[in-house]
Amino acid sequence: MTSWRTPVGVLLTAVMLFPVYWMINVSLTPMSDMRKPPSLIPVNPTTEGYERVLREQVPYLGTSLLVAAGTVVLTLVLAAPAAYSLAKLRPAGRRALGFVLLVAQMIPGIIMALGFYGIYVKLGITNTVWGLILADSTIAVPFAVLILTSFMASVPDEVLQAATIDGAGPWRSFVSIVLPASRNGVVTAALFAFLWAWSDFLFAATLDSGGRLQPLTLGIYRYIGNNNQEWNSIMATAVVASVPATVLIVVAQRFVAAGVTSGAVKD
Amino acid sequence: MFPAPVPTRLLAAVGLVVSVAACSSAPTAGTPDTFSVWDPYPQFTAESEWVRTIEKCGAEAGVKIQRQAYDTTDLTSKVLLAAQQRTAPHVLVVDNPVVSTLVEAGVLKPNSEAGLDAGQVSPNLVAAGTVDGQTYGVPIGANTLALYYNKAVLAGAGVDPASVKDWESLNAALAKVKAAGKKGITFSAIGTEEGSFQFLPWFWGAGASLTDLPSGRAALELWKSWLDNGYAPNSVVGNTQTTSWQEFATGEYAFAENGTWQLGNAKKAGFEYGVIPIPGRTGGTAPAPTGGEFVTVPVQDNKDTEAKAGRIASCLTAPDKVLAADTALTYISAVPSVQQQQVSAQPELAVWVEAVKNAKGRTGDNLGTRYPRISQPLWGAVQAALTGAKAPEAALRDAQASVK
Amino acid sequence: MRSRLAGWAFLVPLVAYLAVCYAYPLFTNVDLSIRGYTVRSFVSGGAPLVGFANYATVFGDPTFRTALLNTVLFTVISLFFQYTIGLAAALFFARGFRLSATLRALFLVPWLLPLIVSASTWAWLLNSESGLVNAALKVVGLGPVNWLTSPEWSLVSVTIANIWIGIPFNLVVLYSGLQNISRDVYEASALDGASGWQTFWHVTFPLLRPVSAITLLLGLVYTLKVFDVIWIMTKGGPSGSSTTLATWSYELGFGNVLPRFGPSAAVGNVLILIAVVAGLLYIRVQRRQELS
Repeated sequence: MTSWRTPVGVLLTAVMLFPVYWMINVSLTPMSDMRKPPSLIPVNPTTEGYERVLREQVPYLGTSLLVAAGTVVLTLVLAAPAAYSLAKLRPAGRRALGFVLLVAQMIPGIIMALGFYGIYVKLGITNTVWGLILADSTIAVPFAVLILTSFMASVPDEVLQAATIDGAGPWRSFVSIVLPASRNGVVTAALFAFLWAWSDFLFAATLDSGGRLQPLTLGIYRYIGNNNQEWNSIMATAVVASVPATVLIVVAQRFVAAGVTSGAVKD
Repeated sequence: MFPAPVPTRLLAAVGLVVSVAACSSAPTAGTPDTFSVWDPYPQFTAESEWVRTIEKCGAEAGVKIQRQAYDTTDLTSKVLLAAQQRTAPHVLVVDNPVVSTLVEAGVLKPNSEAGLDAGQVSPNLVAAGTVDGQTYGVPIGANTLALYYNKAVLAGAGVDPASVKDWESLNAALAKVKAAGKKGITFSAIGTEEGSFQFLPWFWGAGASLTDLPSGRAALELWKSWLDNGYAPNSVVGNTQTTSWQEFATGEYAFAENGTWQLGNAKKAGFEYGVIPIPGRTGGTAPAPTGGEFVTVPVQDNKDTEAKAGRIASCLTAPDKVLAADTALTYISAVPSVQQQQVSAQPELAVWVEAVKNAKGRTGDNLGTRYPRISQPLWGAVQAALTGAKAPEAALRDAQASVK
Repeated sequence: MRSRLAGWAFLVPLVAYLAVCYAYPLFTNVDLSIRGYTVRSFVSGGAPLVGFANYATVFGDPTFRTALLNTVLFTVISLFFQYTIGLAAALFFARGFRLSATLRALFLVPWLLPLIVSASTWAWLLNSESGLVNAALKVVGLGPVNWLTSPEWSLVSVTIANIWIGIPFNLVVLYSGLQNISRDVYEASALDGASGWQTFWHVTFPLLRPVSAITLLLGLVYTLKVFDVIWIMTKGGPSGSSTTLATWSYELGFGNVLPRFGPSAAVGNVLILIAVVAGLLYIRVQRRQELS
């Protein structure tokens, strides 16, 4: 019954990931061949790019992980209680707040970065990892609040009323009922917070370009000179950067899938 | 209910942040013991010759150095912001057309007050840093544009590179190359400063002036004819100088307009190459724009700090130190005596030294910050003409009309 | 009374966070747009208030109409395809099958790539001289298309790249939304003898509406803001043919040696206004749904 889906799924994924494959292809192509008529596999593969990247970039991986993980934690800590309140406690002024969240996301990233830079310089906290985490979280927090609100809204009110009758306060309802029931939303929000922080370049470049601990996206700029870009090293950095994150996501997705089915059984 | 208190508290919180910020930004009196140096060379790591030179110069001035490298396009806005917060770096290495903008912003110290001397530098290279008779900073070196050619492709088409003396002979060469089944020329006409940079040798080579864009009509018609005749690929409209170089590196192209910085890559290209100056319309060498950075001293709250920063900047541009930096960057030195050393060490640099001597600063002729206002309509006109949206003459006329 | 207090207590961290992190940038952007900043007054302060002069400059510029039209086309077309493809993929993956979790995770890989890399890769594929797409067209006997360097195609090209980048987002959110629909509903529908298509149209789609609405709204906000992809692929060119409000704002403020902060911020604020209008529409729709 489901057998046809696997080959079709593989095919669709292959189509979707073709540009990624092309990136890998370019990362292995020597400079002189880059603008030759394209070939589907690198004809004279060079590992020059990778040798440089592995030599120069590996320490940055740890920083990227730290920043991304920190952003996930900060985002969820801020967004989950707020979403619960907006979805279930429905205080006055919640529509206005939802509205502010929407507008907040619309501020151009570069203006956000400039604003943070001004404040950070005054407070003397440029080039710190946690400063970068705080800035990166601004990409994810409004999204997380909105998405979690829509997930938490679908938790039936009757369940919560029953809990209140049993004497559960709002905090206990939140922790033991709403949060577990909207696990999919939590994982979705966490996933995107992670991805955004992982691939952020703008905040890193503005706020952390002099730091001792720099994320991987800044490493790419080593290969972009004033007049010259070393494309095989740039692409190799991107490949190296995406491997650990891909593994993490594949593992996380399996965990989510398991969570979903067990949740369904409970229903 | 929480009617009013919440907003008030919020405002108080915001106020607190702002006031804390205001307190901590009070300028510190006295000279710091660590000096910051910003440059646009992220490719140079802490172990590079360039960074060692900076540290050496700091040691000579008796201070520690904290060096930061930024991407060149980020550096301008970064410096403006830092100056706004009164945390500008002590020494700033910055792309030459930006100098006049930073002077306009009041960020830079003139050499006479910072204790810098650009006296040894060729006057055409200092021009980009001269505003209203005052010079700001010293060029660390210079690069410019010329025509690279592929020896095998030209030989196969029966073209002698020495015969390319003016636009007519260049066109004749391109026609022969095309007839021989190869590709003619590649360059960059992208809609950014890079596009204007590449167009200027032809524009100036036609005898045109930046204050009268339609006077460069012949240059734009030349470029357009190359596309129409199939001498140049359509991709030039979106090419950066790197993309254009990659096209040349395939070995299919006869000519490429590109810069001094590609010399290192040219040796790796795997075919024999040569370099000729860009010809003027009726012969001679066309003036190409100068590229390369200036070492400058930003304004500080303290005179002693500025003086010390001036000493570091002088040290960085001193003839004995600058050779290493120029070699690493594949730049031509801005100082004639050092140029001689470079040529005797590497004879193939002679053509570049010649090109640099003929080169012109983009912000020179006292254009200063008027240059960016002209350059943007100019690259727009180039794009409009090459894509066929407008005729070359009309495109330049419209561009001139939009210069304010 | 008590629950209202509790409601706000849960919101306090977020509200404080919003005030600290967003108030200042938003203020900066408004301030920049109503003052006549030059580079000098940007550094040393004292820029005069000019009211709506920057807005007048922007509205009077011929680029404004092109940029607005391009923004609308870019946003609407991107959203339509991102959503439909994302939903189709989510429905496809919703039935678990061998490898489905792994494949679904792999769909996310485009999101891991720094935009400079993914956009450059697309520019590579679409290059008119040496791009794979034109090589493929040649194989099937078609002539080359100047994807990025002709005014007719540049907007199409950046839109295609942007759709590709946006599919994973739609897939993940819509997939999670599908998972939240109770299995009982499908079983009931199947018992009623509904076909797959009927089930989707009458059961799945309506139940997915809240998640769809928020996906589209967020998608709208993100798409309006997109500038990196376009900037890297075409710089808004050739000659302005793929300029959107977001790239124009960037170009004015940072794309030139001499920054024009005022007009740049004014364009940015026009974008914020568009998002505000979209947000108001969303809230109206939401309220109507709650009432019905």
